[in-house]
Order: sequence, then C-alpha cells, then structure tokens
Amino acid sequence: MTRIHKQESLLVESRFMWASIALLVAISGLLLRLWYIQIYRGDYYREVSERNRVRKIEIPAPRGIIFDRNGEVVLGNRPFYDLVYIPQYVVDKDTTFKIISRLLHVPVTRFEARLEMAQSQPKFLPVALKRDLSQHEVSIIEANKIFLPGIEVRVAPRRDYGPEVPPHLLGYLKEIDPEALDTLNVTNQENPYLLGDLVGKQGIELRWEKYLRGQRGYRLIQVDAFGRQSQGLEETGFSLPNVPSKPGADLELTIDYELQKATKAAFAGKNGAVVVLNPQTGEVLAAVSEPGFDPKMMQQGVTPEDWRELIENPFKPLLDKTSGGEFPPGSVYKSVVAMAGLEEHVIDENRTMYCPGFYTLGNRRFYCHDRKGHGTVNMAKAMLKSCDVYFYQVGIELGVDRIARYAKAFGLGEKLGVALNMEKPGLIPTSAWKMLTYRLPWAGGDTPNISIGQGYDLITPMQMANLYATIANGGKLWKPYYVNKVTNHVGETIYEHHPELIRDVKEVSPKTFAMVRAALQAVVMEPGGTGKNAAVEGVTVAGKSGSVQVVSLKKNTNKPGSDVSSYWKEHAMFTAFSPTENAEIAIAVVSQNDIVGGGGKSAAPVAGKIIARYWQLKRERAASAQAQNKDEIHGKQEKAN
Amino acid sequence: MANRKKQTEGVFLLPEGDLKRPRSPQITLLCTLFVALLTMGLINLYSASLGAGYFASQVKNLAITLSAFVLFGWVIPIRQVNAYAYWFLGVVAALLLIVLFTGRVAGGAQRWISLGPISFQPSEMAKLAVVLTVARFFSSNRQDAPYTIRDLLPLAATVGVVFVLIFAQPDFGTAGVCGLIAICMLSFIRINLRSIGLVFLSVPIVAALLWNVFLMPYQKLRVLNALNPELDPQNSGYHALQSLIAVGSGGVFGKGFTQGTQAHLRFLPERHTDFIFSVFAEEHGFWGSVVIFTVFAFVTYIALDIARHSKDTFASLVAVGVGSLIFLEFAINVSMVMGIFPVVGIPLPFFSFGSSAMLTVCISLGLLISVNRSNSGVSKRN
Repeated sequence: MTRIHKQESLLVESRFMWASIALLVAISGLLLRLWYIQIYRGDYYREVSERNRVRKIEIPAPRGIIFDRNGEVVLGNRPFYDLVYIPQYVVDKDTTFKIISRLLHVPVTRFEARLEMAQSQPKFLPVALKRDLSQHEVSIIEANKIFLPGIEVRVAPRRDYGPEVPPHLLGYLKEIDPEALDTLNVTNQENPYLLGDLVGKQGIELRWEKYLRGQRGYRLIQVDAFGRQSQGLEETGFSLPNVPSKPGADLELTIDYELQKATKAAFAGKNGAVVVLNPQTGEVLAAVSEPGFDPKMMQQGVTPEDWRELIENPFKPLLDKTSGGEFPPGSVYKSVVAMAGLEEHVIDENRTMYCPGFYTLGNRRFYCHDRKGHGTVNMAKAMLKSCDVYFYQVGIELGVDRIARYAKAFGLGEKLGVALNMEKPGLIPTSAWKMLTYRLPWAGGDTPNISIGQGYDLITPMQMANLYATIANGGKLWKPYYVNKVTNHVGETIYEHHPELIRDVKEVSPKTFAMVRAALQAVVMEPGGTGKNAAVEGVTVAGKSGSVQVVSLKKNTNKPGSDVSSYWKEHAMFTAFSPTENAEIAIAVVSQNDIVGGGGKSAAPVAGKIIARYWQLKRERAASAQAQNKDEIHGKQEKAN
Repeated sequence: MANRKKQTEGVFLLPEGDLKRPRSPQITLLCTLFVALLTMGLINLYSASLGAGYFASQVKNLAITLSAFVLFGWVIPIRQVNAYAYWFLGVVAALLLIVLFTGRVAGGAQRWISLGPISFQPSEMAKLAVVLTVARFFSSNRQDAPYTIRDLLPLAATVGVVFVLIFAQPDFGTAGVCGLIAICMLSFIRINLRSIGLVFLSVPIVAALLWNVFLMPYQKLRVLNALNPELDPQNSGYHALQSLIAVGSGGVFGKGFTQGTQAHLRFLPERHTDFIFSVFAEEHGFWGSVVIFTVFAFVTYIALDIARHSKDTFASLVAVGVGSLIFLEFAINVSMVMGIFPVVGIPLPFFSFGSSAMLTVCISLGLLISVNRSNSGVSKRN
C-alpha cells in the first residue's frame, strides 16, 4: 500500500493513533467486564439462572394408614383439593382476593388472615387459602384461572374420616402452628415441616407422628418468567429430578375395630369412657371416650365458634377420659380391699360381718347403699351384694396405708405409661399423702369412704380395666398398649411391640386371686348379683359394679343450656372380664353422671353387650377362617387333579 | 446540472476499470466481516425468536438491506453522497417531525412511521444524517486555523435540531448516540482549545438541566437501575438483572445454540432487540462473545484505517463517523447488556431485529467501502 500524504484532508493525523488507543482501551474494558461476568462470576449466575427457570413443586406424602388388629382400615386417606396462593406469582393481591372471594363466597378477611400467618415464609412457597374444595369449586377456579395468576388448586392426600373413627384414640390433625415451626424443625432437619402442614395433635396421630407423616417428595418443573410450566430441556435428554414422596408408615393397632364399633354403640348416649383390654397381653382392644368431637373439622381448620363450644362443654369433649379422666372408682375398688384383707389375714373366706344398713364410727354413721341392710355377710356375699358396711369394717381394720400398698401393687395411683394423650395418675391416698397435702393427720372417718372407692380415691378407666385384667390373669400387671406393629411403605416391619410387664403382683397369692375371681363371677352369674345385667349366655363373666355419689361437681359448674339435672346423678361403673378363668377380655365402663342409674343398672349392660359381641365375633371369625381353609384345601386338591 | 449528470455517467463506467485493478484488501476484509456479522446475527436471531416471526421477517428484509449495501458501496460515489448530504438531513428532519406528530407509539415513545405495510424508524436514519452533515460541514467550510465555537455554531444548530427532535420522542439513547457520533468526528478536527474548555465547563450545567427538566421519570429510573440493577428486580431493573444472569450463566463455552434457558423461558425481555447480545452470550459463552467483540473492534479499526488513508475531508470524516456509529452502538448495547450502562434502547448492529437499524448499518458499511474505493485514486478530486 502506498503512503498517502494528507495535505488535502482536514483530519489531524495524530488523532488516529489516539483513536486506536481509545478503541483498544474500550474493547479491553468490555472484555474485562465480559470475563468478570461470564468467568469470574459465571458459577454464581449459572446457579441464579437455574433457580430462575426451575421451580420446586412439593409433593406431600400421604400419612400412614392405620389398620386394626385384623387388617381392617380404621383411618385412611383420600385426595383433597386445596386452593393455594403463591405470593411470588401474584400480580395484584387485592383484585385476586376479590375475585376468589366472589367465586367461593368466602370473606376476603379470611384470606388476609391466612396470608398474614405465612408472612415469614419465602415468597415461592404456597399458602393454603381454603382447604377441601368441592368438585364444583375446583371447576370454578380452574375456569377463571387466567384472571388469577399465582392461584392454584393443589391436590394432596389427607385423612378420610368415617363416622366411626374414634377421635380420642386416633387423635386429630391440625395445621402446624407457625410459631412452633422452627423449634419443631430443629429436630427434623432432614425432613422439615412446612407451613400449612398438618400434624398430629392428639392420640395415635400425635404419638406416632414421626412414623405416620412420611417424607415429602418434590418435583422440579421448568417454568418461564410468568411461572408457566414449559418444556424444552427434556428434549435434549436433560431430565429434571422427580423425587416421589415416601408415604408414612402404616400402623397396626391392637384395636379390634369391630369391637370398637360395638363398644361405641353400646355406650351410645352416655358420657365417660370404656376400655377393653386383653388381660393376657395388655393390648387395648377398644377404647371409647364420650362425648367425642369431629376430627374432620380439625383437619379443615376449626372455626372459633366450634372451638369455643368444644372448650366450654362441661363434659370436655377434647379430653381422652380413658386414661386422662380420673373418677372415684366406687364399689369397683372393693376387690382391692378384699384382696388386701385376705392377704393381710384381716378376713378369710368364712369370716362374716353383720350389716344393719349402716356402720357407726364414733358419733358418725356411714350408711350402706341399701339402708335396709344385708344381714350377715361373708366376703363373697358382700361382693355379690356390694355391701358397704362389710368393707367399711375391713378397711378400718386394714388401715389406709395397708390398702394403699395393695392398690399401688396394681398400678393404681400412678401412670401406667400408656404414653397416649394426657395420662393421669389417679390418686390412692395414704396418711403421709394427706399430711403432705392438707397438713392434717389421717382421720379414722376418712377410711370408710376410701374403702368403698370414694372420698379421695381417684382412678382412671384404663387403670380400672387393667386392675381387673390383672385379677383375671392372676397377677400379671401388663402395660396397656395400642400399637402392635409399624410397617414402612416398602413393607418392612420397623417396630413391633411386645407385651411389657410392669410388675408381677406377688403381694397377692394365686389362691386369693381365685377366690376373688369366684366372687366376681358370682356377682354377674348368681341370682341377686349386682352385675347380673352383664351376663352373657354361654360364657362365664366375672364383674363388679360401682355407683358413685357425685359430690365433686358444684352447682356453679352448670353452664347455661346444658342439662343441669345430669350433674346430680351418680357415676355408674362396671368392670368385668370373661371368661372367669384364662380371661380373654377385660372391660371397664365408666358412665359419668349417668341418667339411667347406678353401675349395675346402667353400666353393666354396656359391658354385657361388649362381651357378647366379643364372643360373637370370635365365633364368626373362626367360622370364616375355617371356610377359607376348606376352600384353600379344596383349591389345592383341584390343582393337584 | 449537466456537470453532475456527467459525473454520474462516469460512475456507471467505473466497475470495468475496478475489476482490472487488484482488489483492495480492506474491501475483501470488510465484505468478509460484513457477511460474518450478518450470518452470526441471523443465526442468533433465529435462536432468540424461536416461535416468533422475527427471524423470517429479518431474512425477508435482507434483499433491501443487501441492495442498500451494494448501492452505497459500489454504485453511488462518495462525491454524490457529499452533494446530497444536506438534502438527506432535511428529509430525515422532516420525517422526525412527522413521527413526532403522527408516529406510532410503542413503549411509551413515538418512534415509528408507517408507510403502508412498512414501519420505519427515522431516528435510525438520523444517525447517518448526522455523520453526513458533520462531514459535509467540514468539507465545505475548510479553514487552516483551529475552529472556534463561533465557527461551529451553524453545525451545532443543524445537528442540534436533529438531536432535539429525537430527544423529544423521547428517545434518549438514539439522541445520545447522535451527539456522541458528532463528538467523535469533531475529535479529529483541530478545534480551539478555549472553545473546548468552554464546552466542557458547560457540560455539567447542561446535564443537570437535562436531568431535572427534560428527562422522563422512566428514563431517570433506567439510569439509576443501570448503576445498581439489583435494586428492584421485578420492575425496571428486572431487564438489566435478567440480562446479567443470562450473560453470566453462559460461562466459558455457553449453553449451546437454542439452549439458553434465560432466553427461551422468557426471563429475558426484549431478547430479539436490545438484549439480543445476552442471548448470544448465554448460548455461546465467553469465547463466542470474544469473537463478536473482536469482529466489531476490527471493523472499527478498518474504518479508522480507511479514514486515515483518505485524502478527501468528506470521505475521511464519513469513514470516521461510520466507524464511531458502529462502535458506539456496539459498545453501548453490550455495556447495557452487561449491566454497566443504562438500558437506553440502542440496538446491536447486525444482531438486533429491526429493518431500520439493519438498513442504517448496511448503508454505513457500504459508505465505508465507497470511501475506500475513492482512496484508491480512481475518481478525480475537485
């Protein structure tokens, strides 16, 4: 190229060099910036872009299914449709709320409150606005979806409560408390809870929460800037992770659901509790606490009105009375006094006492429940007629502390350790206890009352049933339990319960047990026995009734609208086991403020019905098992042919 | 008139002689780079507009843009361009006025003129008009002494009209580029030092005035957001941030052609126009981008070289102006995409979708070739 002189051009030659330098500097600067973004900070931006385009969809895990001992489903799941709000994708909150409020007829304030609760959580996490949408509501929302960015209908498996589900035993699920979330997640870091999760709040659901809840899965979906799902990466062979949820572990209860239903039916209309145990193991076969509540209501979010009603009901529907209700045991307690008397040689089977209808101690008169008196009675007769005077005397001769020793040997006065709901210990008074509590010495006049299971005595229905189970099995105090087996979602048994002996009741000899059992059988099966209403044809039944004068409820506990008259009725008790020897079933029935009458009249028939159903079920199952067996053999033969 | 006609005839005879001479290496290089830029631009636009019609539309316009390139490169001699420079300015100013009153509104600004099916953006042409006007001014107002403010006043007035008309649309970015092109061209001219000092002193005052009186709130926000894009990720800074993520996530080698997630999942706004480079950077990574940077730097350097070798003031200044036009647009657009400059709506030459912008850069390269050809001493000097 020839050199060209620029005498004709106005442009300054030297400026070209400067321009070239400026060009070099500019391009270097831009390259530096490019290097900084793409290489130095490249990993950071790559990660941001990943987050940008990939959205995590949580897949809720279905809770474990709860089976009864025979494999019948007590509590399962079904899909529920929830309306959720994802703050990140909502364009105009107020308009959105206005639209869904109009569509679903729910006030906007309800949504606002829901959102308020979720304020602290990240904006991409969904907030449940309304749970359990009907098919109709789902279709309305879906039809209007284009006006509702950030609003979605999510489907999740949740508890499907049948009408027979025992609420206290299984408990209920409630949305997790936002304040408790963080503390709860400290121990659940690898499987954390999210806001809006349902957690077990009572009963089995609470106690076995860790096993039942399962592990949530997740799915990554590719979305565009508007949060719409989009495809594309899959075509290039890149597959987005899809981690299925792990369903919770299934529980096999000790409960016999058929018997549970029969128990509930037998106890219908009463308040209180019924416990049915297997005396040979401590398995709880049925447990009913009345009045109950609707666990469905809890799962869906209980309204303040409903909650107040539950709290203010004098019969405490939320309380599991099977182990959380303490009642004076009444005459049911006489077995303990009888055994103490026999073991301490205060009485023997032949010693008789005279009952004129009352007992005088100092200047006080303690009446028998039958003021006409029972005449001369021995232990068996006193049990049969539930003679108070006999037991006043035995009690006084034993003294409070000797009675307490025997009562405590049977686990009374302390928690059994069933570890379900709020278990109460009950109360077996001693002289030391009274000194400690009231700073008063034990008075002679206190003893007659506690000898017939009144006064200070308090025991729970569970303890009551377990006491009689121990009498039935000859001194094995088993710890009652509800869950036989836990099976995870792949079918492995991850927990198996073996009967747990609290203690061997060595204080009472087998002879004494046999004697008491015979007396108890007479109560039910001999004419004139107070428990004759519990008799069941074809089997031996032993039992004891109890009626307790209600004095603890004060007039001022009456609430407007409740049945005032019922407060002044007596508690009706009945405990039973069947058959008398090698018993298979032990029952305690506690009917609070029973309207019908005393234990023999009101509670005994309940026990009778349960026992009858038990044997009926046993016969039916044996028959069907036999039939099945026959079929199998038949089938095998056919195959062989 | 007769004289002019004769010249035109002469031009039409030229190609024959041209072919006989050895081809200038600059022309070969420029043509290669032009084809390379066009190809890369179209391929990238294909990816950026997957599912949209931009690519097809750009290809259809190729006939017009290519013929404009050939027309200005080989057919119209640079002297002719010089002769019509002020006419061109007049037409552009008139079109800008029409736009101001009847133009199509898009994105809060009036920028388009509709002639039947064709939408046209006169402000793109205004950049060329500024180049030609400045070049023409100095070629017809030659003086040996350094120019003073008074000498330059007529030029400032004419360019100022164009600047104000574009600014009023409002198109802050294009107006700014027009001003910068003029400044780049002036920097090759000997100018009185006192005058330069005076202008520099008045710059802060004018800037303050602009900021407080003329800038629209959205333009102010854009400036602020460019300084810190993470301030407001959902709204105005969103574009800048998403673009930064796109470029950054491209890494060393990029995500692959049509595999850019930022672009294809619509996180990137304006991905076929202003943010086209983020699509490229995301898919082709650092090395791909280095290629583009190199090509643009090379084109600019060639423009400077052509200007340096030109004996004619007009031709020389046109080459400088065209070079600064292409480089400024490239640098501003890329800085904008990389988050070091406000989002001002400057397209990336050859890459962004838009027929007006494409036409402008094609004519620009054509002019460059024309200047180079005139350097070879074929045409006689006046």
